[in-house]
Amino acid sequence: MPYFEFESSKCIPERKQHAVMKAEGEDLTHALPQGYLQTIPGTISERGCAYCGAKHVIGTPMKDAIHMSHGPVGCTYDTWHTKRYISDNDNYQLKYTHATDMKESHIVFGGDKLLKKNILEAFDAHPDTKRMTLYQTCSSALIGDDMEAVAREVMKERPDVDIFVCNAPGFAGPSQSGGHHKINIAWINEKVGTVEPKITSDYVINYVGDYNIQGDNEVMVDYFKRMGIQVLSTFTGNGSYDDLRSMHRAHLNVLECARSAEYICNELRVRYGIPRLDIDGFGFEMLSDALLKIGRFFGIEDRAQAIIDEETARWKPELDWYKKRLEGVKVALWPGGSKLWHWASIIHEEMGVEVVSLYTKFGHQGDMEKGIARAEVGTLAIDDPNELEGIEAMDLLQPDVIFTGVRPGEVAKKKNVQYLNAHAYHNGPYKGYEGWVRFARDIYNAHYSPIHQLATIDISKDKIQTEKGCISRKSISDAKLSPEESNNPNERPYTGDYDCVSKLREKDYSEYFKKNEKPEVA
Amino acid sequence: MTYEEIKDPTQREQVKQLEDYIMKNCLWQFHSREWDRYRQNENILGQTASLLCNEPVDTSTPELKCYWIDALSMTENFRKRYPWINELGTEQIKNLIGTLKARIDYVTITGSLNEELTVKLY
Repeated sequence: MPYFEFESSKCIPERKQHAVMKAEGEDLTHALPQGYLQTIPGTISERGCAYCGAKHVIGTPMKDAIHMSHGPVGCTYDTWHTKRYISDNDNYQLKYTHATDMKESHIVFGGDKLLKKNILEAFDAHPDTKRMTLYQTCSSALIGDDMEAVAREVMKERPDVDIFVCNAPGFAGPSQSGGHHKINIAWINEKVGTVEPKITSDYVINYVGDYNIQGDNEVMVDYFKRMGIQVLSTFTGNGSYDDLRSMHRAHLNVLECARSAEYICNELRVRYGIPRLDIDGFGFEMLSDALLKIGRFFGIEDRAQAIIDEETARWKPELDWYKKRLEGVKVALWPGGSKLWHWASIIHEEMGVEVVSLYTKFGHQGDMEKGIARAEVGTLAIDDPNELEGIEAMDLLQPDVIFTGVRPGEVAKKKNVQYLNAHAYHNGPYKGYEGWVRFARDIYNAHYSPIHQLATIDISKDKIQTEKGCISRKSISDAKLSPEESNNPNERPYTGDYDCVSKLREKDYSEYFKKNEKPEVA
Repeated sequence: MTYEEIKDPTQREQVKQLEDYIMKNCLWQFHSREWDRYRQNENILGQTASLLCNEPVDTSTPELKCYWIDALSMTENFRKRYPWINELGTEQIKNLIGTLKARIDYVTITGSLNEELTVKLY
């Protein structure tokens, strides 16, 4: 499995250790990209900082707390309002973001007083919110403001409030991953075990490492509730601050994004004996396998199987419609960390697309192990790529669609390559059975978009085909299919609702929990 | 264990198939630390061998039960995808899964290039 050297990075020889082309007959012991290292001087990568990883990935999806950064206003604003970590309380955490707005004078004379003033003002402005998460930034960390002391002082003055302090300034790690680590450990050290929950089921889980991107979390929690499982906490998408303080009472930790949240699962395993089950919530087969495993853990596999059967019957004909049309479409999985391995094999198997490249902005070597293990031979795996490497990879591999973030996505567009937002999604959720079909629909719409095809024409030199009439996505996609294949009555394109999440919030789950009730013994 | 070290060509091919299934479909083998990977590999593959041999498996603690659900899923998929496994006797299965474990230990631990495996803390 040879390491891969980009032409554009020959002047940065260390980069050769960060890319691998999967080769026939070789395995992970032959080559593995370096990962989770400081960005090499001379290469401009696409990473976020540790502060961003702590606050904007893990802390702020918590839906019922004030989230405040102690630092300049830009830190708290930048990137946050591109997130789609929704919640069922009218997106409270998305609507408000708070900063102490440090200036030069605070750097010189200290920002403690400013911090306290801001905390009190924020609680006064939100009288119904009694929980707060506080984040260190580079500026406040460098001058040594004692945030814990200020938080203790406020909690003493106002006993009804609770404040969590996270010390993950931007420089506290090579990437956002350093912040994931710090907030995981800080939360279990400071907050887990400080609230005793009401247990309402014999089957209790924490659902960990899901941030409710466009409703992912709520889709999964719907399945769990339909199995009669109490979801004690969700770490942290649509999660409640106090629920997350009671994580120690779960019977099982169900882990999705191991990159951002395995630390807290590992610690819960060591400190409280709660086992960790890693699952994939993406893809019919992997999701079914996950639900069945959870059902078996509690001895309620029949309930899991009922959901699997119902959902598969409802959505498989739609997935098959897209699979037929996506066969052979070349895609690059260029997300942040975990989706490269969540999707690497199942997207190929269930949607028919060819994965030509994987990359991770902030993943560790463990993420590359999982991703490369699942990828097909010939896949180019890249750690922390810079923009020139991304362009070179596109020229070399000629992908049709790239799943990535906004910044590299815009570069791809300029190369006439379609991109889908892997971080915030286009028309998610992508988890769950319906979500997987929505993902397939987004890929289909991207690849066969007539507008995209028109955009690749250079009007200064290309011939405009005026003799052609109206074209549609379907006319393009079905040109390669026989009439029988094109009109298979057992398959259909997506028929779900524009919003498939909100209705879950109105659902009554009491009948599912009744199944848990045991007959009284005289 | 490298493939060259598996002398029996039939078993080598069988291990390749089972390894491919694990690598493409499972996550349990890639915990972040060496000690976790040893524990996962030993327990889950150990239980898998027992299940394939129709032997009882201890699920008396949450930890053991968590290994068991991964092992049971894998056992069912092995039986479905690789029907030849249903033809093997108890000794052959134990031998095969023993070799598979040596191979998975090699790929994920002893031969792994992952430099974080030996980090002392999570």
